[in-house]
Parts: sequence; structure tokens; C-alpha cells
Amino acid sequence: MTDAVNTDRWIRWLNLVQLVLAGVIIMTPTVWMVLSSFKPSFEVTAYPPTLIFTPTLDNYVELTKTTPFLSYALNSLIVTVGSTALGLLFGIPAAFVVSWTRISWPAILTLAARMAPGTLFLLPWYVMFRQVGMIGSYTALILSHAVITLPIVIWVLLPSFDAIPRSVFEAAQVDGCGVTRILWRIALPLVASGIAVSAILAFVFSWNYFLFALVLSNGDTKTLIAAAFNFIGEGSTQWGALMAAATLIALPPLVLAALVQRWLVSGLTLGAVKG
Amino acid sequence: MSDTAATLTQDRQKLEMAALSAPAVIFTVAMIAFPVVYTIWLGFQTFSSTGKQSFAGLANYTKLISDVEFWHGLWITIALFVLSLVLQLVFGVWLALVLFHAKRLPGIVRSLFISPFMMPPVVAGMMWLVILDPSLGAANYILQSLGLPPSDWMASPTWVIPTVALIDSWQWTPYVTLIVLGGLQSLPPSVYEAAQIDGASAFKTFQRITLPLLLPTIVTAAILRSVDLLRFFDIIYITTQGGPGNASNTLNIYGFRVGFEFFNIGYASALMLTLTAIVFGAVLAFNRLRGAVAW
Repeated sequence: MTDAVNTDRWIRWLNLVQLVLAGVIIMTPTVWMVLSSFKPSFEVTAYPPTLIFTPTLDNYVELTKTTPFLSYALNSLIVTVGSTALGLLFGIPAAFVVSWTRISWPAILTLAARMAPGTLFLLPWYVMFRQVGMIGSYTALILSHAVITLPIVIWVLLPSFDAIPRSVFEAAQVDGCGVTRILWRIALPLVASGIAVSAILAFVFSWNYFLFALVLSNGDTKTLIAAAFNFIGEGSTQWGALMAAATLIALPPLVLAALVQRWLVSGLTLGAVKG
Repeated sequence: MSDTAATLTQDRQKLEMAALSAPAVIFTVAMIAFPVVYTIWLGFQTFSSTGKQSFAGLANYTKLISDVEFWHGLWITIALFVLSLVLQLVFGVWLALVLFHAKRLPGIVRSLFISPFMMPPVVAGMMWLVILDPSLGAANYILQSLGLPPSDWMASPTWVIPTVALIDSWQWTPYVTLIVLGGLQSLPPSVYEAAQIDGASAFKTFQRITLPLLLPTIVTAAILRSVDLLRFFDIIYITTQGGPGNASNTLNIYGFRVGFEFFNIGYASALMLTLTAIVFGAVLAFNRLRGAVAW
């Protein structure tokens, strides 16, 4: 009996040790990035690396002074908010119709597009947008990023719409409610939390997306992610400013994800797992 | 009378459905279906240095077969795919088991675990570039303090692919963990109880009961990761741009450079269509595997 209790306790300890080890491996690089961003310039590249230092905001000040960081951030915000809004505007009614009619090809087509390598679309887009003089425009960037957001919205919302009992809709139909009114008045309030999760996931993945802005933006419309490339190019010894940029770029998605982490899991796996 | 009214409502209902789904369908056709058809057409074209285009038949595809850089890119893509997928599945399942036995998981811990894959891959690349710097990076300092030889990491043609696989695995193993954890939590507890009564050891229980029951979930995770791994781009482009030399020139990086650095749109189209076929082939193969291990 005591043997069993001892083994049990021992296993629990072993489990805790593994948990802490995994946590340390996962967290250390991020912590190192944030720490480096607050180091004085001579200490960022110190070897051996230092752990104790007087924190300073110099790197952040330098970043905003020497690069148009804030206008890049504004570009990112415009493209991300625009493409998330477009994804919701097109995706919510589409998900509702797919859930209602069980005609799933529009949903599957958007998912297939999500799986194809981005360069596949980028080549024809580049040729097309260049012909109409839209390279470098916010419109082109928002449209391209909506290809990321639309399938996220549709696939996160599908299970939410599916979960509404059919009888609710049928009762409304008997009362003479049209489909659009049912969506607007009855279904939307019921899937409000699903819409919030889909909007946040769409925002995060649009914010994080690199490839399209790399080609479709210009100096005035460059997003933070596409500009990150320039920060690296500006001299490998500017590690402090580089890490300050990395920290600031990662902040919005991390904060948003932390706010809704409990509901994120099922959304992230496109319904593969009931979280 | 009431029949006509019913048909009228039904027609109206169909019309409303069409109107509601129209924006998404039109957008998808304009931004995805039409461009893909256009890419297929571009794949049969060749562009001269003056920008004049002409029909090239299968020339872009025959060029593919004799292009050493294509086969190198395919090899790099597959090596990176296999290495990363194995790392992420093995460590993902291990971590899921650890978390599963920790029972109650505070929200803050969950937030920490999802933080790597919620940050942009570009940022992951930037941070690891600094940590793995061959001369001043913290990673080599740690290695040397442990009495191990330092590595050139991404500056070494030999180690660049394993290093990129490590970075991607740091970022996405927690994602596999969350999927597998969901699978573990949905398994019926009665199975474990029966195994316990039979006196099965922890390892036997895992090998004979948990793992087979988890296989469909693990294959699902493999599908979701494969799609990203086969078209690997962000971390490599931000850190090495395919280098040193061409040591990390994956097919996606190669196709991008052919298209947007050398502006050979026709050949780049053929390259990207080939890569797309590889991605969908892998998804279909894994899907069949999932069918085979379903219970």
C-alpha cells in the first residue's frame, strides 16, 4: 500500500519536472528576446551574454527615430483590420448558408486555397494587380490577406452555426421570417462568441502573414512583418533595435491570443478537435 | 393556393441563400479560382527579356525535369518536412501526455504554451537569428559552458536545415500538443480503468491502448503540420533566404525567387503548380492513413 503511494508521488514529481523543463524550453527564447530589447547597446552583443543589466528604453527610442516603425505599424493595422472585416463580412453569411443547406463546396474551396502555397496565387496576382496599377495599394493588400481570413471565419463559425437546433429556425420560418432575418436576428446573437474567436484568429493570422506584403506592398504601404526584413538588413550589430522591433511586432497577436486562449484550441484546429 | 404560396416562399428562400453566399463565392472565384487557372496558363508561357510572351507548350515542365536546382529544392523540402514532422509529433505527443497527467491546467500555463505559434514566424526567425549567432549568440555560449563544441547553426550548409527544423519545432510542437491533448481528453476513461484493473503497466497501457486510440488525432495533427512544412517559407526567407549557398533553398523559396527575383513568371508558375500538387498529394495520402487507423 505505502509502496503504491510512494510510486504515485514519485510519478507526480517526475511529471512536474518534465512540465517545468518543457515550460523553460518554450519560454526561454521569448524571454531572451524581450530582455535583449531592454539592454544597453554595448551589452546586447556582450560575450559571454549578460543576464544582469540596467534596463533601458534606448532601443525602442532608436527604433522609432531611425526607422518609420510607427507608419509600418499603421499599415499593418489597416491591412489586418481591413482583411478581418472583409473576412467577417463575406464569411459569416457564407458559413450560415453552408451550415443550413449542407452544400459544403464553398467552404472546402476556401480551405483548399488555405492549403496551397501562397506563391501560387501571388504570381497571377502580381501580374493582374500590376496591369491595373494596384501594386502597393492597401486594396490589393487587404484583398490578398482576406484569402487568409475568409477560411478562418467560415471554418470557426461552421460548428457554432451547426450547434443551433434546427427547431429554432423552423419556428422562425413558420412565423414568416426570411433567411436573412433569421441570420441577422436569431442566429447572429447565438454565435456571438464564435464570431469573436474567429475575428481574433483572423486578426492574428493576417497580422502574422509575411509573403503577400513582401511583393504587393511598396515603401508607403509596407506592413511591419514585411519591413522586419529591412530591420535585419540594417546591420547585424543592431541587435537591441532588432529585438525591440521583434518584441513590438509579436505583442498584438500574443496579447489577443492570451485573452481568448480557452476558446482558441478548437478554432485553431479548424474543428478537428473539440476543445 | 397555399401550394403556390409555399413555392413562392421556397423560391424566395433560395434567392436569399444565393444572395448571402454570393460575396464569398464571387471573392473566392476572383481571388483563388481564376488566378489558379491563370497560373496554369502562365505555366505554358515563356517570357522573353523584353517582356514579350509566347506559347511554350510543356517547355517549363521539361525544364523542371532537367533543373538540378529543382531536384535539390525537392530534396531540401522533403528533408525539412520529415525531420520537422517527426520532431513535432514525438515531442508533441510526449508533452500532451505530461500535460494530461497534470490534470488542471491554469489559463496562464495554457497561454504560455500557445505563445510560440501565435507569434509571427518572422519574429521567431528574428529571435533565433540572434540566439544562434555563431560568434556572439547565447546558444553557443551555453554549449561551450557545458563543454560541448559550438555550432555554426544557420551559417553552416550542413546544419542549416536541422537548425531551421529545430526553430519550427520550437514554434509548432505546442500546437501538436494542444491537438493531441484534445484527443486524450475525449478518450473514454473506462478504457484506462479496465487496463488498471488488469494490472497493466503505464508503458503497456500507453503502447496497447492510448497510442492506437490516439492515432487518428495524431494523423490529423500531421496533416495540419504537413501543409505548412511542405511550403516552408517565412523562417528561411527571414534568416538565410535559401542560403548559405543554396543549402536551404526549399521549393517554395526557389519558386518565389524564380518568380520575383529573376521574373521568370512562366517557369515559376510550373514550379508552384508542382509544389501545390505535392502538398495536396500529401494531404490525400494522410487522409487515407487516417481512414485506416480510425476506430
